[in-house]
Amino acid sequence: MRISRVMLVFKKDWLEIKRNREVLLPIIIIPLLLSTGVPLIFMIGTMIAGEPSSSSMEDLENIVRSLPENERNEVLRMTVQQAAIYLITLYLLAPFFLIIPVMVSSVMASDSFAGEKERRTIEALLATPISDSELFLGKILVSFIPSFMVTIMSFATYSVLVDVLSFSMFNGRLLLPNLVWIMLILCLSPAMAFTSICLTVMVSAKVKGFREAQQISGLLLLPIMVLIFGQISGVIMFGPMVIGILTICFTLIDYVILRLSIRTFKREEILSKLI
Amino acid sequence: MNGLKRRRLRGKASLISEESSLNTSVLENILAEGLTKQFNTFTAVDNISFKVEEGEVFGLLGPNGAGKTTTIRMLASLISPSEGSAFVGGYDITREPLKVREIVGVLTENPSLYERLTAYENLWFFAEAYGVSDPRERDGRIRGLLEFFDLWERRRDKVGTFSRGMKQKLAIARALVHRPPIIFLDEPTAGLDPESAKEIRDLINRLSKQEKCTILLCTHRLEDAEKLCNRVMIISRGRRIAVGTLEELAHLVGKPSLQIALRNIDQKIIDSLKALGQVREVKVDTQASRLTLSLLDESATPEIVREIVYAGGMVLSVNFVYPSLEEVYLKLVKEGSA
Repeated sequence: MRISRVMLVFKKDWLEIKRNREVLLPIIIIPLLLSTGVPLIFMIGTMIAGEPSSSSMEDLENIVRSLPENERNEVLRMTVQQAAIYLITLYLLAPFFLIIPVMVSSVMASDSFAGEKERRTIEALLATPISDSELFLGKILVSFIPSFMVTIMSFATYSVLVDVLSFSMFNGRLLLPNLVWIMLILCLSPAMAFTSICLTVMVSAKVKGFREAQQISGLLLLPIMVLIFGQISGVIMFGPMVIGILTICFTLIDYVILRLSIRTFKREEILSKLI
Repeated sequence: MNGLKRRRLRGKASLISEESSLNTSVLENILAEGLTKQFNTFTAVDNISFKVEEGEVFGLLGPNGAGKTTTIRMLASLISPSEGSAFVGGYDITREPLKVREIVGVLTENPSLYERLTAYENLWFFAEAYGVSDPRERDGRIRGLLEFFDLWERRRDKVGTFSRGMKQKLAIARALVHRPPIIFLDEPTAGLDPESAKEIRDLINRLSKQEKCTILLCTHRLEDAEKLCNRVMIISRGRRIAVGTLEELAHLVGKPSLQIALRNIDQKIIDSLKALGQVREVKVDTQASRLTLSLLDESATPEIVREIVYAGGMVLSVNFVYPSLEEVYLKLVKEGSA
């Protein structure tokens, strides 16, 4: 495999994406909403209301119960308002940041082959001496790299926002970044995004159009939703151990899926769909 | 390489010159044997065999759905044959697809260009994809092609803003960007105005004659095939109907007729010709003062001319007229479909 060819596919696709509003807007808007809109609503709402509603309180109590002991003791020493802000910003919203790379990449990954088929540019691309694996990996990278960068930028924005809003309430203590979030953003999130991108690119190569690919790729959000509800209900708690185990699991899944998808990727199948 | 010393020329001529890294004559031909492609129960190409020599322009003619594009796709290693084999430039299309793709330039049925990229960016991507990665060589090559096709001034414009003809020119430029010794052109003059179409025909001629490029030309325009092809193959419903030079194909549908222009035509001349055993039919065009004769044997021409002169006719010119490619094509396709 020639990395230069992989990067060439990446560069070409990225040039196209930068000029495609349909693809670019969701890449900007979704992370912006999740990294600023959602925390702003939760934090300002809690600050104004004084304490969360009873149903939210119930969710927060679930989280407190599943916290490690030292962390639980620390939360119990806080005021209700402090505890609510702390749990919402550090625990409740954490799984939402797993959605960002998956949603951002789903648009680009769905467009990877299906978009080229729709725009009838695929045949000339397939006629080049770029191998199947180089082409496939290039298409994965063009979804993976921007989504990873966007996730990091979203996390940076979120951290600044949380720290600014909570600065005086926690007497100058900065809540973010912490180890759990760094592991979440730099390890688990890319590992999960890679799985979803691999599967979406595979689907994109097999279906006829972009919409079809995107609809199918929407199903990939389901496992993340399970994690979100798991965290809210206190069944799963994102600590270093859980994140580490999940990262290893997803990395292994990534390896298997990548090998499998490269092996099953056949440019001939793509053209057969056009005939 | 086989007499292909490619000189660096300036301007339009630089488009097809310069040294190529490919270096044997074996690498520059096409050999297909029993090529067949089936899509489920539909047979798109059925047991086609042919050979294209180096430097030859070989035409692939046939109605829509005849299997021309599928044949090109198989030869370009884009799809694999269901049966049969083919070698392009000495490489097996099934076993060495990357090698085949490296030495082949393909103009696809659709321009297949990235509309959000500029003309320059399109050629940059494909030049790099085909391994032309030295920046000086690549940029020089792109400039040469864009200048040749009068697109240099529009190099920074997105392809989406181009007319169909401009896109077609750019797509041809893309097929040539890596100086391929073998070129597959699917309808190269489609969407072009007569002037541009002539430029493309001249280019194809030059690529074939000067650069010894082997060209497989897929076209509906019989005019293009007539002007460019050394040999043509007519296919219909995936099957080979006929293959040969235009002359050979013309012979398949009938003998050439003898056309004689005279200063004056009178009945005596016509009667004397009709009396000859070798003449099957005499058609008279009094306005053009011309006789068109169907002969049983072409070798009887000197006797016929002598007979006209004995009958008092003054001969201005004598020509053999072959059926046009259009006549040949229509007849062969009709027979093939029957």
